[in-house]
Amino acid sequence: MKNNLSLLIMAGLIGLGATASPAAAGSVENLERERAIMLETMLKSDLTPQERHEKVRVSKRRLIDLERIVLRDKSITGRNSPAVKRAFANYDLTFLAHASTEKNLLVTDHWLEQLGLTSQNIMASARRRR
Amino acid sequence: MTTLKSNNSQWRLLGFAAVLLATAAVMPVAPTYAATGAEQPTWRPAVSEKLVKLPNTYLKKALDRDFSDSPLAGAIRSMDSEIKLKMQTLADLQSATDQAEGEVLTELRHQFLAQKQEYLDLMKNRQNLRTKHFKTRIKVYQRLLKKMSREHSGQSSDKAKLVERQTEARTRFEQSAEAIDMKMFASTIAPESRYSKEYAKNLSAANALLQAISSHPMSAQQSSAGPSVSKPDYVRELLASTEAELSLINQEGEIVGYMAKLVALDAMALAEQIAENDPDLIEPDKPVGVSSAVDLFIH
Repeated sequence: MKNNLSLLIMAGLIGLGATASPAAAGSVENLERERAIMLETMLKSDLTPQERHEKVRVSKRRLIDLERIVLRDKSITGRNSPAVKRAFANYDLTFLAHASTEKNLLVTDHWLEQLGLTSQNIMASARRRR
Repeated sequence: MTTLKSNNSQWRLLGFAAVLLATAAVMPVAPTYAATGAEQPTWRPAVSEKLVKLPNTYLKKALDRDFSDSPLAGAIRSMDSEIKLKMQTLADLQSATDQAEGEVLTELRHQFLAQKQEYLDLMKNRQNLRTKHFKTRIKVYQRLLKKMSREHSGQSSDKAKLVERQTEARTRFEQSAEAIDMKMFASTIAPESRYSKEYAKNLSAANALLQAISSHPMSAQQSSAGPSVSKPDYVRELLASTEAELSLINQEGEIVGYMAKLVALDAMALAEQIAENDPDLIEPDKPVGVSSAVDLFIH
């Protein structure tokens, strides 16, 4: 009984030090997938503006949750994989839904701005031979 | 018969004194554990990941508990009981010698010296065992420190940059989360998701549990020990205090050496005293002078 009690105490104490439960496998990959789907929807030419707007709104809803899952996932802290490194290299491009809402922009506008495709830049561009 | 008996006890004492002196001369330099056929008691603690992850105060307690269950601790405990009994024997003999006289007194003093020698042997053995214990403990602490520094230094600059970015991202998210919730979920068009609701519920449950942990008496005991120190600093503190214990044992070894010398000198003094008081002691023959034989040659 003394051994069982000691084991319980040890397990509990180690649990105190543990700050994260094992991650849902691929939280970053899930986010990337959903973001890719949303970007594809944004760029689809065969959708009407209303259809596009509705699909992006639904996708943004899902994206908000997935972004929060990644941001709250402590098991990826310091995990030096290419996906994680890329994800945290640029907050505004990875966490599109949050960043666009912060700036009071539509997701599409925010994403295009991050890529440098503003109205001003497009209007200023010219077509010419290299 | 009496002469023979006195001579025998005198030679015995002289021999005993010689052995004691020889032992005392060696003792402070190289105390040895009494070699027996039996296996030496040991303590072999394992420096596992579990030990590294334990909170500071529980680290020492876990090690103490592990030591307490080991054969070495058992040997030290039984040595302590033997020493206590021996001290009682010495106290009894001392009071007996105060009341005795004559041959009985001599015999009692002889016994007293013999028991003192046995006591010193026990002390020597216990010191060897305690030295073994503290040296093992020092090795454990050194291995723990090595393990901790290996884990810490394993963080490359890339990893450090990634952790910094992740921290910045989380800070930015926490600062803007409330405002984003207001903008996103205020409208009925985009109601709060099930994940958000459940997360909020779980978060408040987790906070309640954290509150209970911080107000637990055992947590209070830990924090009342003083300002919290990092684990490497705490282990270094334990290492320093164990080194201090070891140096105290070395000092005790010197004291035992001096005691042994005193016992040897007491044995020699007793032997001399017996020799002086022996009424049957035969004076060595005086050599006969040649002049006393002159008459035999003069006709």
